[in-house]
Amino acid sequence: MYAIALKMLIGDRGKYLGIIMGLTFASLLITQQAAIFTGLMTRTYGTITDLSQPDIWVMDPKVQFIDDIKPLQDTQLYSVRGVRGVDWAVPLYKGLLKARLENGNYQICNVIGLDDATLIGGPPEMIQGRLSDLHRHDAIIVNDAGARTRLAKPPDVPGGAPRPLSVGDTLEINDHRAVVVGICRVSRTFQSQPVVFTTYTRATIFAPRERKLLSFILVKAVEGEDIGALCDRIVQQTGLSAYAAEKFKDLTYDYFMKNTGIPINFGIAVVLGFIIGAAIAGQTFYNFILENLRYFGTLKAMGAGNAMLLRMILLQSLVVGAIGYGLGVGGASAFGHLLGGTELSFRLTRELLMLSGGAIILICLLSALIGIRKIMRLEPAIVFKS
Amino acid sequence: MEEKKPTSAVFCRGIVKSYATGPSKVMALRGVDLDVSMGELLLLVGPSGCGKTTLISVIAGILDLDEGQCRVFDHDMSAMGAGKTKFRGQNLGFVFQSYNLLPTLTAVENVAVPLLILGRSQKQSFALAAQLLEKVGLQDRALARPSELSGGQQQRVAIARALVHQPRLVVCDEPTSALDAETGQRVMKILRQTALSENRALIIVTHDSRIFNFADRIARMDDGRITTVESQIAH
Repeated sequence: MYAIALKMLIGDRGKYLGIIMGLTFASLLITQQAAIFTGLMTRTYGTITDLSQPDIWVMDPKVQFIDDIKPLQDTQLYSVRGVRGVDWAVPLYKGLLKARLENGNYQICNVIGLDDATLIGGPPEMIQGRLSDLHRHDAIIVNDAGARTRLAKPPDVPGGAPRPLSVGDTLEINDHRAVVVGICRVSRTFQSQPVVFTTYTRATIFAPRERKLLSFILVKAVEGEDIGALCDRIVQQTGLSAYAAEKFKDLTYDYFMKNTGIPINFGIAVVLGFIIGAAIAGQTFYNFILENLRYFGTLKAMGAGNAMLLRMILLQSLVVGAIGYGLGVGGASAFGHLLGGTELSFRLTRELLMLSGGAIILICLLSALIGIRKIMRLEPAIVFKS
Repeated sequence: MEEKKPTSAVFCRGIVKSYATGPSKVMALRGVDLDVSMGELLLLVGPSGCGKTTLISVIAGILDLDEGQCRVFDHDMSAMGAGKTKFRGQNLGFVFQSYNLLPTLTAVENVAVPLLILGRSQKQSFALAAQLLEKVGLQDRALARPSELSGGQQQRVAIARALVHQPRLVVCDEPTSALDAETGQRVMKILRQTALSENRALIIVTHDSRIFNFADRIARMDDGRITTVESQIAH
């Protein structure tokens, strides 16, 4: 009977395509909007995940997220180094500084100053040059997205395409000369600013004069040391805040979730996709059931029980659900793939695929439920009405 | 122990059936007594609204009666509960005035439906369905959809569907009313030849006096009652 159920469904082309269209739309919108949301939220803590070496981030107790910089005194680095269980501790500067471009425009850059000796906290992937080139005079490393777009040099000919910043080019950062010695790839920042790496000392020279300039202290625990316990010791002994990298990531994520309109904006789009998809698919599926009521009644009269009809309808709804889900997720993936090199934040995770799949199954079951109620109540005697 | 063979196909006594309640209550059947013997073709005739369709719905077990008793092959339909659906699938065949063929299925698929409901394999069901289509002279239209068939051809597909699982009782509602005289006669000949045997019975509700000569007996209904039952020699 399952083959008959599918033939009943597919044979009614208009309704079949209508239901699939509704489910595809719902799946596409839910997956795409949720993937953009996830991508955007991933950007909020991109700097933390890019810096894979340190186990612990130490900062001012008032810091709420990665971009909420409340500088420390340089001497606090030594206090942290003195805590038992700390293998090494290095300074990290993180700040927004103005870079003057060749055409006279200014561009805000996310400048990261790495420990001069070890360069711990450097970019995860170098495209041109080497990280150690930062030891050269006035050296900076720029991320490729920034080099291609916001820091790009003016076109060589009027009306031409801007030329990406490359090794050997110079910039002015806060009136200081900076020479590009490498191009790297890092996670995009939340505000899509170019990311500029340099040494800690040079970053403090670039930065406007302030009494305190140390943004974070990056800590590596001694092997076998309990990270949680070490964080507690650092807090006790220094009066600073100390978070395991994963926990600092969560802190940043939670801040953006609670204090920005991003979740609600994307949440509305996702819920809207669900509602519209459910409405289109549900309505069309219900119409399909209504139009086939006489035939379901005929099957009932001929001995098909409610359980059999229930299985047939569930199969019909799950088949269109699977097709709609596949098309929607495929469309969302293609969208993400095609716009992968742009500013679009798009991150399609396994959890998102499951969420979208769950939503589509829910829509299918809701749609089927409406039809099933009608079928269950159907008097087979309807078949004798002409 | 050998199962006792039923003596009659249908045995109804004092059937009462009404629709709705209160002031809008309509008495469709007012104490109907009816017997249908094995190997018999019974015509139920009467004016519109006299209760013919309600009576065959009760006999077929697709409508519950209010009072009385209706036994089909010695089984009390109203007392069967959940087993009624299965009993109906195994023992009854239906032919409807408007054919009720599933429009998205081919003729052979439509005919195979009762067997598929009974859990037979697709291969076996389609093979038997093809045989039945051959019996009703539609072997060359097996892959046609209902919309590609004439009214007479559709009714013959419906008859094949009603008979494919070899039911012991076939219930037909106005099987010839939408057909011209010649096609109607042909359909009745097929029904009589294929649906009747000494262990099977056929009940046909009709207005069509052109087919009266096919009946063994004609039961006339009026206002929810059977008024007369005439025996005749069928042609």
